[in-house]
Amino acid sequence: MRSNDVLGFIFAGTLDDKIPELAASRTTASIPVGGKYRVIDFALSNMSNAGINNVGIIAKSNFLSLTDHVGSGSAYDLSKRRSSLTLLTPYGGKSFGSYVETIYNMHGYLENCREEYVLLSPGNVITNFDYTDLFDFHSKNGADITVVYKNGVVPAGYDRPLTVDVDETGKVEQIFVKPSATDEVVNHVLGTILLKKSLLMEEIRKALSLNQLDFKRLLQDMIGKYKVYGFENTGYTAAISSINSYFNFNMDLMKKEVRDELFNPKHPIFTKVRDDAPSKYGLNSSVKNCIIAQGCVIDGEVENCVISKGVYVGEGAKLSNCIIMQDTKIGKNTNLNYVIIDKDVVIKDDRSLMGFDSYPIYIAKKSVV
Amino acid sequence: MQMFPKQEVVAMLLAGGQGSRLGVLTKKLAKPAVPFGGKYRIIDFPLSNCVNSGIEAVGILTQYQPLILNEYIGNGQPWDLDGMHSGVNCLSPYQAIQGADWYSGTANAIYQNINYIERYDPDYVVILSGDHIYKMDYNKMLEYHKEKNAACTIAVIDVPLSEASRFGILNTYEDGEIYEFDEKPEHPKSTNASMGIYIFSWKELRKYLTEDAELEGSSHDFGKDVLPAMLNAGERMFAYPFEGYWKDVGTIDSLWEANMDLLDPKVTLDLKDIYSRNPMMPPHYVSPNANIQNSLIADGCEVEGNLEFSILFSGVTVGKGATVNSSIIMPGAVIEDGATVQFAIVAENTVVGKNAKVGQRPEEVEDRDNWGIAVIGENTKIADGAFIKAKEMIDSETEVSAK
Repeated sequence: MRSNDVLGFIFAGTLDDKIPELAASRTTASIPVGGKYRVIDFALSNMSNAGINNVGIIAKSNFLSLTDHVGSGSAYDLSKRRSSLTLLTPYGGKSFGSYVETIYNMHGYLENCREEYVLLSPGNVITNFDYTDLFDFHSKNGADITVVYKNGVVPAGYDRPLTVDVDETGKVEQIFVKPSATDEVVNHVLGTILLKKSLLMEEIRKALSLNQLDFKRLLQDMIGKYKVYGFENTGYTAAISSINSYFNFNMDLMKKEVRDELFNPKHPIFTKVRDDAPSKYGLNSSVKNCIIAQGCVIDGEVENCVISKGVYVGEGAKLSNCIIMQDTKIGKNTNLNYVIIDKDVVIKDDRSLMGFDSYPIYIAKKSVV
Repeated sequence: MQMFPKQEVVAMLLAGGQGSRLGVLTKKLAKPAVPFGGKYRIIDFPLSNCVNSGIEAVGILTQYQPLILNEYIGNGQPWDLDGMHSGVNCLSPYQAIQGADWYSGTANAIYQNINYIERYDPDYVVILSGDHIYKMDYNKMLEYHKEKNAACTIAVIDVPLSEASRFGILNTYEDGEIYEFDEKPEHPKSTNASMGIYIFSWKELRKYLTEDAELEGSSHDFGKDVLPAMLNAGERMFAYPFEGYWKDVGTIDSLWEANMDLLDPKVTLDLKDIYSRNPMMPPHYVSPNANIQNSLIADGCEVEGNLEFSILFSGVTVGKGATVNSSIIMPGAVIEDGATVQFAIVAENTVVGKNAKVGQRPEEVEDRDNWGIAVIGENTKIADGAFIKAKEMIDSETEVSAK
């Protein structure tokens, strides 16, 4: 299987109901992370790095920030004569309530693309994953369907997590839909699935005709009927599925091993660039254990924070354990601890805001405090 | 035939010079491609000025070591110069029916590209050079040019009288009309220094370029031949006074100073609306042990040491206990644990080994004449514990061992 025979298909809104604050005016896929990225940059870069040429992104609502961010796809090298990035949005009053209906309603796009295979991908997962390994595994085993799984505790926010039992060859013996997430270590599937487009469409049509709209059930029914394999992603993976997992992922970036793995120069993560100057540190600044993007002016004291592009931190400000999104202004002599601050916020001089480790507080986009 | 829409103004950027005074920094690249200010190259300034002034056709004259410059300019997209029938083009010397010639002088470089200019049928041509750091609206200068009904307008900046003898000085009447060029005068009559930015009415320029090309003994240079010829012929030539930050970065000292100016709150140059090609790197990381004061840091850096009055380009590593002071560290360079770099320029991908010492503070040197900025060329390895004196220049792609 050649990578250019695989169509990428990303669901931008995955679990957006679990992160109502950050996804209030955007899709999960376009939530800003890590100082200069959006969640979808990881999925798109992985696809582009693997040699996938065409990617469709399903966005049911709130897609303005997503459109603005991914643009034509040129930042990911997905806008050339033989490659494209297509934003797929609801049309014609059709229902996009379930995965099954959504995929069916996009059959025109799916069938028009010349690729034989389709790689379904969630819009909330951050990982640097070489898909060519998955493609090789799929071909070598002569699989009909390969699901990517992760071994570990199911992240908070997954209500009916999908888990798999695999034998030593990687063959999936059973697929479970757990009633709820527990502390158990299990092989859970976050939504990355590779299969032939024709097989997907056949099964989707069948499910619809039986009024069976549950995609997880559809996967379960495939066991025994098709050769279903599981491929383990052993690399660092973060699923943005709650405000806490969002906070924890950003804080994970302070770990060198996480940065080295996610930002491997051999498989770079691409994003829309902005012409920001290098960040400027003032004479009385103090910065410890922080991720800082370009275009910032730091005059205060910052510790354990992720600071996005174009942020201003005034003199005498004390920030710890915060995530500050782009172009926010933090006034002088402010004191912030465990705060997630969205874009374009102004925190006026002398303000104090305190959250807690397990409960970071969130300040909405364009607020003035 | 493909039709090019008329452009009122075409800019021609002279980028072919070697810039030999920058030593090892221009061994493998032309001066305009020298990195500046933490993420830029010098040429980003005139190019961004062009775009911000609404100039949509820019020819870049390349000759000396053009590979990196060509690659950097690419299709011109970062500067919005990738239009369908306009944009940026790198123009190198070429072979023609009548033979092949290198660009023998600045005027000759333009003369050999008359075809390029004429495609756009321009009324005016702006001639720029690629070795100055400044922000300027060329439109205002063009307004002035039109208002004065000039054949040629030269931008000038007021320099201190004590420094005037280092520049080309333009002596003018009260209304700004130039009556004399005074190249590096011993006793300057005025303080109007030429900034190397010219606007010509294209018809006049073409006439003088053609005449100059046929003139035997001419060095085909704007400053030495074409401008004096125009003045002698009685053309209307005016000086356009510019106010703002402007710095020639043709020497190691001035390049270092211009970089340091970015850290000086009193300097008016800001980097807003200067465009560049952006490397794909994550935001930079500052460790719990780091200490950073008054510095500029680009994406992809990892800082564990001490940083003062310094500029880190993308992907630079400063190890534990290392100190970087008053220095410029270019992309991908590594300053290993315990090393000290001060008053130095370290070029791309060079490694300064553990506990090595590069450069010296002025007070560490007895004779002030022996003090200067230390420079290390690209892809060089300075061994652990080695010492590089002030003002020393280490060649690129070498290894320096400890004594």
